[in-house]
Amino acid sequence: MIDTDAWLAAIETSRIATAIAGSLWLTGLLSAVHLVGMTVLTGGAVVSGLRLTGVLLTDRPVVDVAGAVARGMLAGLAISVASGLLLVASRLSTALSNELFQIKMGLLLVATLVHVMLYRPVSAGMAVHPVVRWTTGAVGLTLWVGVALAGCAFILLE
Amino acid sequence: MFLQIAEWLEATAPGVLVRESLWAFPIVVGLHIIGLTLSIGVLMWFDLRLLGIAMRGCPVSRVYRRLMPFFASGFVVMFVTGGLLLSGFATAAYGNVYFRVKMAAIALAGVNALAYHGFTERRIADWDSAPRPPRAVRMAGLASLLLWTTAVLAGRMMSYTMF
Repeated sequence: MIDTDAWLAAIETSRIATAIAGSLWLTGLLSAVHLVGMTVLTGGAVVSGLRLTGVLLTDRPVVDVAGAVARGMLAGLAISVASGLLLVASRLSTALSNELFQIKMGLLLVATLVHVMLYRPVSAGMAVHPVVRWTTGAVGLTLWVGVALAGCAFILLE
Repeated sequence: MFLQIAEWLEATAPGVLVRESLWAFPIVVGLHIIGLTLSIGVLMWFDLRLLGIAMRGCPVSRVYRRLMPFFASGFVVMFVTGGLLLSGFATAAYGNVYFRVKMAAIALAGVNALAYHGFTERRIADWDSAPRPPRAVRMAGLASLLLWTTAVLAGRMMSYTMF
């Protein structure tokens, strides 16, 4: 049986977590990198979501607009997740018990699953009914903006 | 002189509200970050088109026309909320090196945009549909990406070093 408390304690007291928590400059830099990742990700969600919902560049094939954007969003996600994990490493148990953090992580999980299983194939030009394409765009955009808002709330109100 | 302007800003009603209200500061910061997503988050995809990396099958002019209302709206939100935040903490910002870096990056990004629209874009008919635009166009896109990334990084560092 996995001892969760021991795992959390090990992560929180690790050298890297301790080093980050002890350095305001390092924390600030990671937070800044996290914000850049979020900007890439959420901005991409706006562009590709607006194409899928038929608002933006509708005279171009979906794959021409949303294809590369959806791939770029994964880069933004990787940057955000990596920097985010490092940021909360020293206070992981506190963060996990915070409702705003739980909401953010829940939305992040759902948004990532939707992105990988539905958003990317549809953005790559998979033949689907227009309603499915529209719904994919709207749901994806809503989820990623939700993650960003939840993240803001967690940082500002925790 | 700038310090006196900063002190005056902090004494204005918006400055006092942002600094002393329990809810004004997080709301304004939240809107500033949403504006960031809409402005730089969308603009960067136009920059990537200029670089010939994204949306290569779409004419540059069309990408610009369709994205511009969104990133322009985002910049309006950013500048208004940024002005409000500055009014609340102007003296601390004045002495902060990351604030000066951020302002310099934003000013240079503006110069880059003016140069692109005033000079580089004049011959757009020659390269509008090219998947990989000419070097000068790509450089404008790269400069925009680097300068706005610098502004975002410096802006976030401000909040960790100002107080």
